[in-house]
Amino acid sequence: MKNKVLLIGGFHKATALANSLINRGYSVTIINENYADCMSLAENNQLKVIHGDGSKPYVLDDAEAYENEIAIALTQHDEDNLVICQLCKKKFGIKKTVSLVNDPKKTDFFHKMGIDSVVCAINTITGIIEQQAFMDEMATVLPIGQGNISIAEVPILQSAPSVGKKIWEIDLPKEVIIGCILRGESSMVPRGDTRLLSGDILVLISSKENHISAIRELTGR
Amino acid sequence: MKMNNIKDDYQIVIIGCGRLGASIANTLSNKNRNVTIVDINKDSFGKLSPSFSGLLMEGDATDIKVLKKAEINKADVLIAVTDNDNINILIAQMMKSIFNIKEVIARLYDPEKECVYKESHIQTVFPALLSAGEVGRILDKEEDDEK
Repeated sequence: MKNKVLLIGGFHKATALANSLINRGYSVTIINENYADCMSLAENNQLKVIHGDGSKPYVLDDAEAYENEIAIALTQHDEDNLVICQLCKKKFGIKKTVSLVNDPKKTDFFHKMGIDSVVCAINTITGIIEQQAFMDEMATVLPIGQGNISIAEVPILQSAPSVGKKIWEIDLPKEVIIGCILRGESSMVPRGDTRLLSGDILVLISSKENHISAIRELTGR
Repeated sequence: MKMNNIKDDYQIVIIGCGRLGASIANTLSNKNRNVTIVDINKDSFGKLSPSFSGLLMEGDATDIKVLKKAEINKADVLIAVTDNDNINILIAQMMKSIFNIKEVIARLYDPEKECVYKESHIQTVFPALLSAGEVGRILDKEEDDEK
């Protein structure tokens, strides 16, 4: 009897996670709201795919949510992830719930609401950047001492002066690195000719002194 | 005098300025209650009557920073009536668990979602159940009339 895992939302994240779980011997069901994404997912014969809104109880019922040991909510909306996990636990008796949280300030609240594991989208990627950037590049570029490094999440709004510009066109201080760009459900390591779009979230690594001027250059604030 | 003091100090916050939120806000304002209404889209405030005298606040009420900045945490009553069940559930639970608001009311379209916060003492309004109940009452009355 395979352990069963239910994934809800987050097409790209769910695809990668499902493949990893299947390789490790789990039985995986995915619920996704987008029909075309469901057709794409269904090409994997080892996946059970349900089309619908995973925060609706009757959709979870169709997916036989109660059969799973773990439910993982991966949508881009914290309110959906919260309701999905709470329904899975309270209505369908799933033992362990995991939620992606897009707003780090809600992490404690999600734990308080009974979500077993909370994965912060920003912290996850920042952790990777900390691991790689600190070791390789930060020590070289910023010989100031690790206590002065600042990592910030910088959303690029439609009104920001940097929208539509390539990174090399922006007058950033020298000791600033854009470590990662979160765009929709994907993330990328930018190059100098990467163009910034409205809605991007930049993971900015900088010294404390240059932190404010870098953000001003990017957002106009 | 006491009555006036109670009314003056009693803060009511409404989240979501759709038809229901605006209607509640207008009614409470006409009764001289202290009302603040929050919506993510400032155009929504156009639904309020010209005589509305409460506070308007544009912002995302699911953002804890926005809530703190506006001192929504000092409200006595919070009414979550956005058009999204999950947002209402999130806000209602945040206000109860983080800010300890005494009275929290949420509107839910889907009655099956109430179980997620059943033990939180959040009051819930279900338009679907209210409407079904009313239709049932009308049908019963018609049957009685036929007898």
